[in-house]
Amino acid sequence: MVTLRTLRITVASISFILITAIFLDVTNRIPPSWSSAVVSLQFAPALISTIYSLGFAVIGVVFVSILTLLFGRIYCSHLCPLGTLQDIIIWFRKKKYKHRKYPYHPAHYRILYSVTAFSIIAAFSGGAVLLDLLEPFSNYGRILTTLVRPLIILVNNIVALLATSTNRFGIAEIPLNGMNLWNIIIPLSFLFMIIGLTAWRGRLFCNLLCPVGGVLSLLSRISLFKITIQHDACTDCGLCERVCRAQCIDSEKNSVDFAACVGCFDCIGSCPTNGMGYTFKLRSVMTKKEDTDRRTVLMSLSTALLATTGVPNIVDTTKTVSGYSNAKTKPVVPPGGKTQEHFESYCTACHLCVSACPTHVLQPSFLEYGFAGILQPKMDYNVSYCNYDCTICGEICPTGAIQHLQQQEKKSVQLGKVTFVKEDCIVEIKKKDCGACSEHCPTKAVKMVPYEKKLTIPQIENEYCVGCGACEHACPTTPRKAIYVTPNPVHLIAKKREEKRMEPKAATPQEFPF
Amino acid sequence: MDRRTFLKSGIGFSALTGAKVAGVNLLAQYYASANQTGPVPYDLVAIKGGEPDVMFAKGMEALGGLGKYVKKEQKVLVKPNIGWDVGPERAGNTNPKLIEEIVKQCYSAGAKEVVVFDNTCDNWQRSYKNSGIETAVRNAGGKIVPGNTEGYYHPVSVPGAKNLTNAKVHELILESDLFINVPILKSHGSTKLTMSMKNMMGVVWDRREWHKNDLHQCIADFAAYRKPDLNIMDAYYVMKRNGPRGVSEEDVVTMKSMLISSDMVTIDAAGAKLFGIDPNEVRYIQIAEEQKIGRAKLDQLNIKRISL
Repeated sequence: MVTLRTLRITVASISFILITAIFLDVTNRIPPSWSSAVVSLQFAPALISTIYSLGFAVIGVVFVSILTLLFGRIYCSHLCPLGTLQDIIIWFRKKKYKHRKYPYHPAHYRILYSVTAFSIIAAFSGGAVLLDLLEPFSNYGRILTTLVRPLIILVNNIVALLATSTNRFGIAEIPLNGMNLWNIIIPLSFLFMIIGLTAWRGRLFCNLLCPVGGVLSLLSRISLFKITIQHDACTDCGLCERVCRAQCIDSEKNSVDFAACVGCFDCIGSCPTNGMGYTFKLRSVMTKKEDTDRRTVLMSLSTALLATTGVPNIVDTTKTVSGYSNAKTKPVVPPGGKTQEHFESYCTACHLCVSACPTHVLQPSFLEYGFAGILQPKMDYNVSYCNYDCTICGEICPTGAIQHLQQQEKKSVQLGKVTFVKEDCIVEIKKKDCGACSEHCPTKAVKMVPYEKKLTIPQIENEYCVGCGACEHACPTTPRKAIYVTPNPVHLIAKKREEKRMEPKAATPQEFPF
Repeated sequence: MDRRTFLKSGIGFSALTGAKVAGVNLLAQYYASANQTGPVPYDLVAIKGGEPDVMFAKGMEALGGLGKYVKKEQKVLVKPNIGWDVGPERAGNTNPKLIEEIVKQCYSAGAKEVVVFDNTCDNWQRSYKNSGIETAVRNAGGKIVPGNTEGYYHPVSVPGAKNLTNAKVHELILESDLFINVPILKSHGSTKLTMSMKNMMGVVWDRREWHKNDLHQCIADFAAYRKPDLNIMDAYYVMKRNGPRGVSEEDVVTMKSMLISSDMVTIDAAGAKLFGIDPNEVRYIQIAEEQKIGRAKLDQLNIKRISL
């Protein structure tokens, strides 16, 4: 018979493997639409996306909410990749230390609900930094993108090297970009924290700091199905408490704190007398303890609300075009990011776009967007430039920070404008032809025009510029690029170049001209 | 002469690294086949009015067939221009039909292996795919090889170079027995035109060095490093302005033409004329002629003209 535990392990494995695969798909073989479908059930990104617009992402929010209202926080053990990561750590710990368990410990609801309320309310008002740093999907994404992906690329490159030396070219080397100490520190510290917390007290993170855990914990308080100890069948053996990873079963008091239960269902299988019930309960029995919990919920919620009102909005929505001079120092926002403030408010820095970007132009930032935008991806024109026809980042972005643009629309979005510094240009300095910038420009916003001594020099027509960074990337001058993109704080529309069709007289020659 | 220079650099490189023995194989093959290759009947073959594959077949017929060049069991490198993520109708990359036919005919002539690559400007996977060349090569049974990371490139010195004395070249240039250069004729913002000599930029790793140190001189310098055994210039669709990437199909005319020559300077001079530009206006052609890398005076050459 399929137990709830085997079902959980199956579902969690599938979900975990799929999510891991899309982040580690170093050869970009998984179609963006599949990636998008896989992450659509991730609660925090779906919630953020729904805040912005009631789109497709609402399915994820509704699905997870209904699931929780029916069965409790099973999301935490079935769909959350960080949850499964903790379960893997727990499994290893069990292997190593057979006798160390996670005994019952009252959950820290005051902290959990405060963190949850604060981060979500802040996200609603446009400052998602706390959510970014604590939300499980994005953290798992960052761990994979920053810490694991480079290792996979390394392995790929070794295999590619071996294959190439035997004259097989099916596997290509992949450039290793964006290896930056600062970008590594945060995911690495988070990973260490998770390992530490898990080794110490099981799923403590989920009941202490996780905003998704917080929301689902609240919902699970009124869920239809709940795990309870059947007092008539219970023999007080305490086995259920010994297997519980959420420290939510108090076998001395024969009670299950279901709001802290992550739905792993280990306790049900562990009970030798079928004393753990997972039963339909229309309304939770009001015990004195739950009453205190309710008070905690209300108190932490109101504290958070008060706290949030006191915090200035990290992103001021009234400042748009006028904020140009301030925003100049910020990085270029990817196409579909709309405005710097839109992008910064909705991006949780999960780095899915970073791992999917075929040109690798999308790289994690550190503090370039400011503290509130820590680790959010930026267009890094040192590494590469944005492919003119590509729309992948918008297709896969789970939070709507990068909106999905159709190809024609994307090709007209102007991320920034180009600046040409003649004094730094090869043509001016060496009096020799170069033109690398103009070669790469997909719209010929950078054109080579006649200059002294039969030379040609770049000329800028910014109305056609899309800010893709091809010119900046190609420019050979060092240390300063003679041509570079300055970001538009609000993305604009580039003019489409309309040119007459070339005269057909230039077609197949009547006679060869030689 | 040019082959010897190449062999020297090839062997020198092999000795240095101890890894590549292709140069030695090539030496043996060179002596084995040196006497069989008769004089080429024409310095340049120009064809117009046909489909790419037909023009190629007719052109090679005039030159005595591809078998004059491709020997049994050789490893052949076909180097198209796959610089950009655009389709064939945009004329940014060599016509895939032509590449497919060349790869096929190499195998018919007895080639052991035909490899194709380019160090692209736009993202390499997208350029390989959307140019249609990846599919064309696979259809013809050839191997499409990446050139996207520095690991594939090995340092060599360029003999007789004024500016570009050193470069890192793709290992296939060092390993292949026969090298067929298949550029497309198109406009170019800074060098006026890109043709066969300019197409050689796709076999090296660092193009910025060329741009920094007098592009024209570097193009001419590198033309002496490894002269292709055959150059086939695609001028079926020709980008007349906004090159080398082009902005839209409006930039393109259908010229249905093709040039074939084993001399890059000759074919580039003819390409310039076909495009409507005086070869003397293209500085790298001038320099290459002055450095005696090839011959640009078309009126002194034996040209076969074919109209279909």
